[in-house]
Amino acid sequence: MKIVIVGAGEVGTHLGKLLSAEGQDVYLIDPDAKKLQTVENYNLMTQVGNATSFKVLKEAQVNKADLFIAVTPFETRNIVSCSMAKNLGARKTVARIDNYEFLKEEYKPFFKSNGVDELIYPEYFASLEIVSALRNSWARNWFELYNGELLLIGVKLRENATIINMQLKDLAQSGRSFHVSAIRRKHETIIPRGDDHLEMGDIVYFTTKKEHISEIMEICGKHKQNIKKVLIMGGSRIGIQLAHHLGEGYKIKFIECDHKRCMKLAEQLPNDCSIIHGDARDIELLKEEGIQDYDAFIALTDSSETNILACLTAKEFHVGKTVAEVENIQFIAEAENLNIGTVINKKLLASSNIFQILLDFDESNAKCLALTDAEVAELVVKEGAKITKSPVKGLKLSEDMTIGGLIRDGKGILVTGDTQIKAGDHVLVFCLSGAIHQVEKMFK
Amino acid sequence: MFNTNRRNINFKIVARLLGILLMIESAFMGISLGICYIYGEYNEVPAFIYSILITLGFGAAMTFLTPHKDNNMGKREGILLTGLTWVVFSLFGSLPFIFGGTKMTLAAAFFETMSGFTTTGASVIENVESVSHGILMWRAITHLLGGMGIILFTLAVIPMLNKSSGIQLFNAEVTGITHDKLRPRISHTAKGLWMVYVALSGTLIILLWAGPMNLFDAICHSFSAISTGGFSTKNASIEAYNSDYVKIVITIFMYLSGINFALMFNAAMGNVKPLFKNDTVRWFTLICVIAFVLIATDLYIKGDYDDIPSLFIDTNFQILSAITTTGFTGSNYTEWQGLPIVVIMLIMIIGSCAGSTAGGMKVDRIILTVKNLHNELYKILHPNTIIPLRVNGKVMQTELISKTCAFMMIFFILILAGTTVLISFDISILDALFAVMSCAGNDGLGYGLTGSNFGTIPDPCKWVLSGVMLIGRLEIFTIIVIFTKAFWNKE
Repeated sequence: MKIVIVGAGEVGTHLGKLLSAEGQDVYLIDPDAKKLQTVENYNLMTQVGNATSFKVLKEAQVNKADLFIAVTPFETRNIVSCSMAKNLGARKTVARIDNYEFLKEEYKPFFKSNGVDELIYPEYFASLEIVSALRNSWARNWFELYNGELLLIGVKLRENATIINMQLKDLAQSGRSFHVSAIRRKHETIIPRGDDHLEMGDIVYFTTKKEHISEIMEICGKHKQNIKKVLIMGGSRIGIQLAHHLGEGYKIKFIECDHKRCMKLAEQLPNDCSIIHGDARDIELLKEEGIQDYDAFIALTDSSETNILACLTAKEFHVGKTVAEVENIQFIAEAENLNIGTVINKKLLASSNIFQILLDFDESNAKCLALTDAEVAELVVKEGAKITKSPVKGLKLSEDMTIGGLIRDGKGILVTGDTQIKAGDHVLVFCLSGAIHQVEKMFK
Repeated sequence: MFNTNRRNINFKIVARLLGILLMIESAFMGISLGICYIYGEYNEVPAFIYSILITLGFGAAMTFLTPHKDNNMGKREGILLTGLTWVVFSLFGSLPFIFGGTKMTLAAAFFETMSGFTTTGASVIENVESVSHGILMWRAITHLLGGMGIILFTLAVIPMLNKSSGIQLFNAEVTGITHDKLRPRISHTAKGLWMVYVALSGTLIILLWAGPMNLFDAICHSFSAISTGGFSTKNASIEAYNSDYVKIVITIFMYLSGINFALMFNAAMGNVKPLFKNDTVRWFTLICVIAFVLIATDLYIKGDYDDIPSLFIDTNFQILSAITTTGFTGSNYTEWQGLPIVVIMLIMIIGSCAGSTAGGMKVDRIILTVKNLHNELYKILHPNTIIPLRVNGKVMQTELISKTCAFMMIFFILILAGTTVLISFDISILDALFAVMSCAGNDGLGYGLTGSNFGTIPDPCKWVLSGVMLIGRLEIFTIIVIFTKAFWNKE
């Protein structure tokens, strides 16, 4: 599939690398040759040029593109460029936007008629993820799949969890209604087998259904925290979105060190938010603003390092939940090992979104989530596929994958060894990065 | 997540890939073995069988005996592998010359093979016509593989290199200031370039076969012309056929081989305009025309040629043979004196467009240097002006210009150093200079002492010239950087 990406910023280059590793023909366009040099050693074509120039788009042969993705920092430029590409013959266009208004259902026909098929808004998704992290503050990650039919919950085990040192096969025999799909231990992700056991400090990914949540909370020794007071460091676009999403019932305070930005925040934020002009790295200031009384601390500055360190400081003051935006993917594993609650990454969010769009193209290449070094794929079982030949325990599955659950006729089912997979099922597969192609073969 | 054991160069992956490459080389030796059988040259068969067994043995040992845990390849491994591939290929490729009827010394055989792979085409064989068909085919195959690049060939066929490590290799081997990809995937780029290469060779084989040549000669000369190599199956090279048809056809195909293959690929895909609008192609053509006017006028005034059509054909043939660094002989250029021979020497090191199979400094660099010089002179009078340096309508970055200037400087130092060594072995200054320029530009023409063949020069000079050919082919930096301290120090 030919994919043209416009804008070699963080999201653009990350997408380019990912899609080229997936075996797609990727063309990356940016006006800045320096930015393109960083991806010189990847299997993708680069082109220097402006995204809103017909000449450049024609040179990139946009007319043959299956997917055109505009992710420059300027939403108007993205929209114009998508519109141009669509007119030149691109099959599907995706524009990154920066304005919640555009996502409203009533304006969809407008964008459609202008040649923009899909809109992605990484900051919006980031704020949604923070909201779900605050609502379910005991979990590290919280994904709802198939409209909430299946849940994927990542939980960090502390000393009060009852399942520590238990072998997984014993857990399974006790008739629990969840499936341990992956374990993140230190720097690596483990796809667990029956004789693996759980250790303190592991982040465990459970696949489960809504009605069994309380059971997981119990065995992990977690309690529901009621979060009401939120301190946000850095008045970024995610922060503004977040303030709008949380709405009433939350007390939100922003700390921003740039005065001009503060003034802008005052215009854009809901009335009941308070804004402090100052540096959140200053402990005196944090004390003055009463950090110990807050339930959650969210660090959203442009610097990943600052965010990580600020969250650690907040933990010292016994803030229950901390969320850090970490844009540097290499730092995510480090941040997870330090006691930072939830880590937000715009790039991973944007790319899982694009994958979702790719999924609409070609059902066999279905991928919904990208964790740091593992992937969660939703695959549709084809007629006569290898995986339907026998119940799960009889299949010789690769060491790098496991099946978490499946959806049959719109209903979520957890998978055990006796489950027989049928054609037409949507199966939730966990696999280590790079193993997806082998896994895919089983479903065809 | 973090790779901690990357302090040293990953020799294992280099050895393993080198092993795979050697096995591919032995497969190509098999073709020559087949030719021996076809022509009934059974006394040559053992030579090829030994060569194949030795090459295959080493290759298999290197591939299967080195543990392959770590497949990481960085810049250093890429450069080292590229450099080593060319040396090791030449070393094993020289085996048939040593075992075979040619009975060469190692120095001579290595020179011959390196000359083949770098598509220089300088030969040490005195009487080519007495050599077996198997050996002649092997010489043609070294040209075929070396012309587009040994590694580029493997990039097209080994899927294992279809990732960033392959791109490192591509950048280390492909000629030019910047490297254009044809398609997003490196293996597709390599396949595209090889498609052009094979299409040109195939067409030329048919055209030559239709003329006075037999099929075997047509194949050998086509491989030689398209790779801009220059090995011939005749002592008198193309002169032996005494046919204007052959000369004209080869002249046209040499010209095509001197053009950027990426441009030709795009033209074949229907995007013809850039081919004619390209600055490099225009300059390349212009240089050919100027050289023709200078040489033809001089020869005409001196009265060496009284026959105008053959003056036209021969001079054009010789100019394209020199500028595309092919090195076929299609005229009595060894008897030329004064201006014509100086022009030949100059265009020989200028070479053709980057991204073609030709050697030399490349017209792209000449354009950049000349335009830069012009700008510098203008700046003396108008110190505050900002004049961009444009090639093909695109402004060139300053780093690119300084890199090109560095290249030019090292290139001339290389020629100077090589010439000095040759002179110290009692070779006359002009002959030494011509030979070194010919090798540095991967040209292969000889003059004076080396006029008929390079067998006459002493063995140490053959080693030196082999090195000069390699450095010239890989465009200097790839080889020279291996000998820098920073390459081996990871701190």
